[in-house]
Amino acid sequence: MSQTQFIFFSGKGGVGKTTMACATAYHYAQAGFRTLIITTDPASNLADVFEAEIGHKITPLNVQNLWAMEIDPDRATEEYRERILAPMRSVLPPEVLKVLEEQFRSPCTTEIASFDRFVDFIAGDGASRNGDHFEVIVFDTAPTGHTLRLLELPVDWSRHIEESAKGGGNTCIGPVASIQENKVKYDEAMRLLADRKSTRFFFVLQPEGTSLWETRRSAQELAHLNISGLELIVNGMLPKEVCVAPFFRRRYEMQQQYLRRIDSLFAEPKRMVFLRDWEIKGFNGVKSIAEELFSKEKGREGLSLRKDGGQNDRNANRLTTDPVFHLLRPESSPKAIFFTGKGGVGKTVVSCATAYVLASQGYKTLLLTTDPAAHIGEVLERPVGDSIQPIADVPNLYAVQIDQETAVEEYKRRILEEARENYDDDMLLAIKEELESPCTEEMAAFEKFLSYTESAEYEAIVFDTAPTGHTLRLLELPFDYKEQVGLMVATTARSARVKTETQKRFDRMIARLKDPQRTVFAFVMYPESTPVVEAHRAFLDLKNAGMTAQFVVANQVLEPGKCTNDYFRSRNRMQDKYLREIRERFQLPVAILPLFETEITGLEMVKRAGRSLYGIDAPKSEIAEKTEVAV
Amino acid sequence: MMIEIFDPPMCCPSGMCGPAIDPALLDVNEAILKIKKESDGTVKIERYLLTQQTTKFLQNPEVLELLHTQGTAALPVTAINGKVVKQKVYPTYDELQGYIVQKGNAQ
Repeated sequence: MSQTQFIFFSGKGGVGKTTMACATAYHYAQAGFRTLIITTDPASNLADVFEAEIGHKITPLNVQNLWAMEIDPDRATEEYRERILAPMRSVLPPEVLKVLEEQFRSPCTTEIASFDRFVDFIAGDGASRNGDHFEVIVFDTAPTGHTLRLLELPVDWSRHIEESAKGGGNTCIGPVASIQENKVKYDEAMRLLADRKSTRFFFVLQPEGTSLWETRRSAQELAHLNISGLELIVNGMLPKEVCVAPFFRRRYEMQQQYLRRIDSLFAEPKRMVFLRDWEIKGFNGVKSIAEELFSKEKGREGLSLRKDGGQNDRNANRLTTDPVFHLLRPESSPKAIFFTGKGGVGKTVVSCATAYVLASQGYKTLLLTTDPAAHIGEVLERPVGDSIQPIADVPNLYAVQIDQETAVEEYKRRILEEARENYDDDMLLAIKEELESPCTEEMAAFEKFLSYTESAEYEAIVFDTAPTGHTLRLLELPFDYKEQVGLMVATTARSARVKTETQKRFDRMIARLKDPQRTVFAFVMYPESTPVVEAHRAFLDLKNAGMTAQFVVANQVLEPGKCTNDYFRSRNRMQDKYLREIRERFQLPVAILPLFETEITGLEMVKRAGRSLYGIDAPKSEIAEKTEVAV
Repeated sequence: MMIEIFDPPMCCPSGMCGPAIDPALLDVNEAILKIKKESDGTVKIERYLLTQQTTKFLQNPEVLELLHTQGTAALPVTAINGKVVKQKVYPTYDELQGYIVQKGNAQ
């Protein structure tokens, strides 16, 4: 292996990407290759899996030939900033330096800096260490939607640079002259990504509908970028012999059905990993997965079930869901409800169930997603588009999916229309060119998000938000932008007016997000180590930003009564430990969504989920009727 | 002849991509485009961004001095052939034309 091999992990969050990436890196390191594992996920959990402090630097792990690094967007921004500012520190007055530093905190810079760091590893000199090249670099990338945006950037950016060279000579990332060298780097990155001899993409999925469709979508998007070299890992397979009770037998059959679907849809090579009844943590866990993934004899040899025959303490793990619905009920003003948490932990299902319950209680409810990989339409089994539409058969319920590209188009159109009234064609062309910058995307999505939050038309707005790190960045935007706007130099009276109006709008938005009466944050998680740790980290970040979560949803909780053999009793005990940890860490009411015998799709299942979560059964109107009958 | 505009801190080079577009930035952009077109290449107009072309601010002693005495409040600064002619506010189209005519007469 003379040339560096790149392996990317993709898939819906929570499918076990990090674990698979770690196992793969471990495998190559054991095989004698100098291996580096890198995460670009703002909510990375590499450290949790390897039980080691890693951070924003290449760190040797306790395995020969294995190194790891977590790209921290904040640190990457800082480094990018210092690279530019360092030579100026001695010459410029402190006030100007302060402005420059402030400027580098813009959302654009953060994206640029992370991206730049990422490309360094593919096409720059990041791949070498002390002159020695890494032979294998494994990227544990962020969940699918985000990953694809990151991968699409090289195409967008080199195009952007090319066009700018013809036009005004400026781009969002600096003057063209100083970027030409980077253009070479970006193009090289794209070339390597498309070369299947040097790059492989591992798609991790679970044998269930949403995960399968998501994978299919992502594979198609990659094909558009001329990227092939795909392989599949189906994770979380239930071993047949443990699925004896009817409840688990049904889940097992559901999985087998999806497995057949996967076989018919994907011709790519597949590997399978079975669900353990013990926690995958530390090197032993990673080793066990690596053995199963890369063993020559395909099958079940690598799997060892722990047979300890322990009994459950029946009293300790009875499922009790805390009452939380009163927190969600819109009183005098509309309520914005945000479900956040690691991708794939069931935010979408919980959002749908919550919106369903609110609507059935008679509140006019809007269900909204900002996740580029959202699937609320699939859960509701009703079409959901990029404009608000009522959901058939559910009175009071409306839904919309903010589509990034549509949002960008709308934003551009609005800006250009405003400009058309005042300026000539040359000017419009200049504005248009400026709007082609990648920064516009983030700006546009934010605009859209803001406009829905400001709308007073709905009594409740339920946000099925994007995964943790991304969500937090989205929520932080008002603060960043507010600072940006504060820096805007109001050179004329007209400018001053625009500035004040914008600032007021952001102030209103921030006040609203911080008001627990008007905004409710809730964290969704599985009762498992990584999701709990990650959610708690995000919970603290949110708290630091002045927003306190009001409750927690524990999803896919096994009901003790259904766990009739050692395998599931063992998993049940694992969950139990983490349910206790959730209560200790968060000190918040915990609503419980039990594991169902199949996945939650269709209105009937959504209704059932709502009932389990909030203990609310009949719609408000029915309750009223019943009361009348009783009288 | 060379007209240089030292811009105040902005997100993007022309400032036209921020969360709210400053109308003054649109106006100056329009004026520059017009002058460029009319002068047929005889007048060069460059704009510099503090965050991206900081060296340009350092290379002009007058501009650096302004930054030291007034900070970023002095921006935007307009310079003709390196000499500062206007500060704090962007030049209008008429003003830009005035500079060109003046220089033309002087030569």
